[in-house]
Amino acid sequence: MSAIVSVENVTKTYHLGKTEVPALRGVSLEIHAGEFLAVAGPSGSGKTTLLNLIGCVDTPTAGVVRVDGKDTSALSERALTDLRLRRIGFIFQSFNLVPVLSVFQNVEFPLLLQGGLTRGERQRRVGELLQAVGLSGHARHRPSELSGGQRQRVAVARALVGRPRLVLADEPTANLDSTTGATIIDLMRDMNQRDQTTFLFSTHDQKVMAHAHAVVRIADGQLQARETLQAAS
Amino acid sequence: MAPSLGPARILLRIAFRNLFAGRAKTLIIGAILLLGTALVVAGSSLVESVDRGMRSSIQGSLAGHLQVYDDRSKDELALYGGMGREPQLEPVVDFSRVKEVLSRVPHVKRVVPMGIDQAMVATGNQIDVALEKVRADVRRIEAGERDDALLRHYQAHKDHVRRMVTLLRDELRAARALADDQLLQDRKQAGEDLARAAAPAFWDGFERDRLGSLEFLENRVAPQGMEGGMTIVRYVGTDLDAFLEAFDRAYVVEGQRVPKGRRGILLGKWYAEEYLKLKTARRLDKIKDARDFQRRTIAGDEEVARWVKENTTQVKEILYQLDPIQAEEAAARLRRALPSEERDLPKLLVQLLSTTDQDFDRKYAIFYDRLAPLLQLYSIRVGDTITIKAPARSGYFNAVNVKVYGFVHFRGLEKSRLAGVMSLLDLMSWRDLYGYLSPEQTEEIRHLKQVAGAQAVPRERAEAELFGGGGAAVESQRASRIDEAAVLARIARPAKAEDLSARVYSQREIDRGVVLNAALILDDPSRIAETARAVDRAQRAAGLHLKVVDWQKASGVVGQSVSLFRIVLYTAVLIIFAVALVIINNAMVMATLQRVREIGTLRAIGAQRRFVTGMLLVETMAVSLFFGALGAALGALAVWLIRAAGGIPAGNDQLYFFFSGPALLPTLGTTSVAISMGIVLLVSVLSGFYPAIIAMRVTPVEAMAADD
Repeated sequence: MSAIVSVENVTKTYHLGKTEVPALRGVSLEIHAGEFLAVAGPSGSGKTTLLNLIGCVDTPTAGVVRVDGKDTSALSERALTDLRLRRIGFIFQSFNLVPVLSVFQNVEFPLLLQGGLTRGERQRRVGELLQAVGLSGHARHRPSELSGGQRQRVAVARALVGRPRLVLADEPTANLDSTTGATIIDLMRDMNQRDQTTFLFSTHDQKVMAHAHAVVRIADGQLQARETLQAAS
Repeated sequence: MAPSLGPARILLRIAFRNLFAGRAKTLIIGAILLLGTALVVAGSSLVESVDRGMRSSIQGSLAGHLQVYDDRSKDELALYGGMGREPQLEPVVDFSRVKEVLSRVPHVKRVVPMGIDQAMVATGNQIDVALEKVRADVRRIEAGERDDALLRHYQAHKDHVRRMVTLLRDELRAARALADDQLLQDRKQAGEDLARAAAPAFWDGFERDRLGSLEFLENRVAPQGMEGGMTIVRYVGTDLDAFLEAFDRAYVVEGQRVPKGRRGILLGKWYAEEYLKLKTARRLDKIKDARDFQRRTIAGDEEVARWVKENTTQVKEILYQLDPIQAEEAAARLRRALPSEERDLPKLLVQLLSTTDQDFDRKYAIFYDRLAPLLQLYSIRVGDTITIKAPARSGYFNAVNVKVYGFVHFRGLEKSRLAGVMSLLDLMSWRDLYGYLSPEQTEEIRHLKQVAGAQAVPRERAEAELFGGGGAAVESQRASRIDEAAVLARIARPAKAEDLSARVYSQREIDRGVVLNAALILDDPSRIAETARAVDRAQRAAGLHLKVVDWQKASGVVGQSVSLFRIVLYTAVLIIFAVALVIINNAMVMATLQRVREIGTLRAIGAQRRFVTGMLLVETMAVSLFFGALGAALGALAVWLIRAAGGIPAGNDQLYFFFSGPALLPTLGTTSVAISMGIVLLVSVLSGFYPAIIAMRVTPVEAMAADD
């Protein structure tokens, strides 16, 4: 099984005025296709930074991040954007749906950016995913008409619609109650198992963590350990 | 990435939905743009229409398309008058050369000679008019006629003169009570003459020496009735035939054209109305105009009410005109028409003239239908010969007698002072008034001087050389003077004044001589600038020393006022759009900052920067185009409504000229619509620019930020 993401000795330092804030201090990690991996750690530990680097929305200060075999530091802004569009799906803590678009259109959006599919193909694919996340009946709704859990399910569908190799979810359950959060994680795992899409999500919630195959713990910008969990059914 | 319509479609969809989502913002921005565009469209349509109106007014009445004048002139040409005086232009000595050279320039259709000035004109004198009647009677009586009607009229005409003389004497006596000794001394002779003419003995003895008595009245008494009988006339000395052909706006409204080659004047009709008409009649016209066209009423408008009051208190002017027989007839007509039992004519006149809003139209008709035929409405009539006195460049007053052949109006500018004040004078009389001589005359005088051994004296200094300076005294003299320059000039002239009016001048005589400027009419008015350059090259090549200006420049202050309107309008437009720019920019920046997370999300998901900036630009431009178009439509509607309502009425004489008629009927200019849409687009792009840059800088990381 080849590594879809490889992080080699990466450091990331932010500048807040004149002070340097190290967010990651020499992190190495490999993520393999089909994994369902959680990054766990308290807030400020560097979870989000790690996800940003892997998600190609940011580049490391030192070290190498390879996504789908490509060194992200070597890519142009446009190429990075294209990589995100075609290889990575995003699920955000605050759902981040486009408020003026319907559920269907939100999910369809990455397909339109990718181009290449006919209207019928897009409709079929979006329809399948909406069914899979249990929102077939809400295709015409606006995000504001949905509950938090429903919105995050739309976000899951949007992340998957472009058939990415990797889905990144930054604290996907933080804005949800724990029951809803658990169902979202279960949904993500179902998708992981259905299509063998690789999932990487961050969380600080022990209960959510328990749904993952494996957990990497992070603290003070350094990875602690990689644990394989048996909790998964 | 293969080019695809997908991103564009979703981009538009998000952009438009955002517009509806942020309705308040969209409406505020839209309203500003709407107002701005409406103002530009309506405003520039108005300015364009004024421009067009003025263009045709100025071009068609006096300026033509181009004007030329001597480039050594002290002042610039100002056809409608400069700042309070006529501009001083260096004379163009031989117009025929100018005509010859410039006629050959392509697109020049006509070259019309001109010289504009103003001068004194005697507006006739009621005593002269009355005396003329007596003289006509006397002539018939002397010839042996003796019928009753003649004798009755003769007596009435004499009584009329006697009454006037008595009035004059009383006026002088009243003045004497107030005047100082010096004035009394000056007017001593006048007083004695008047006293003699008013005395019963004079009238008792009238029949013994009719002609001698008449002569005394004409020479010694009539001049005293001249006070206030002078007025200024502004005229253009020109080749009258060429002028009337070249300027299609000018037409003879009464009388006839001056026969070809003859001397004569066509008085401006507007001028005649304003300055030569019986004041009572003029006031009635003004009241009618105010009521009919300006929606003013006698009851509701102070000025109109004052005119009515003045008419009732100043009936003397009418009484003065009527001899006893006419007065009786007038009274009889008024009694029938009003109707009234009143016997007394002054009281009948007061009854007639004390009008109200209810009876004004009826009484106005009575005045013109019943009373006016007995009156002389204008102090100068068609067919009269008038004397024009103008200060020549030397400082002398030159005087010419010219026959009034008719009144001239400028079509569409009937009520405009700027055009209507102008009278048209034949070029030969104009040259006489100026003391300018034809090249032949100059040559002849030079020859005479040589023969007489005369010293060369510059024309400007001639008076000083001859009299030792001081020209003021000359003006007070009424009788024709004798001065050397004039005598010299007359030597060169073959005929006396009476014969001059009958003389027919050849085109060559008209062309060969001095003018001040010349109007050029082009066959293609769209080629003004180009032809101006060609004319300039031609005159330079011929060494004519001419300055070529376009009609707008030639019309002086008047022509520049349109430019002023335009500057004011565009300044207003500029301010509005600058404000719009700031507000729109501000609103868009705020909106963009509020959408940082959304933009970040789009970027994270895979939207390129240009997608995001494109989206924002589409948003601003869509708003701008929509509301801009709406505003343009609103402006067009305003223009249409103004037209439908009959246009913007010209409230005063100046506006009448600018509007080229009684009302401005604006037409929607395609250029104004195009310009306004262009401005709106520019504003939207400019105001969307900064927000777009902000949006471009948003990184996908922003999408990751947690809610707070």
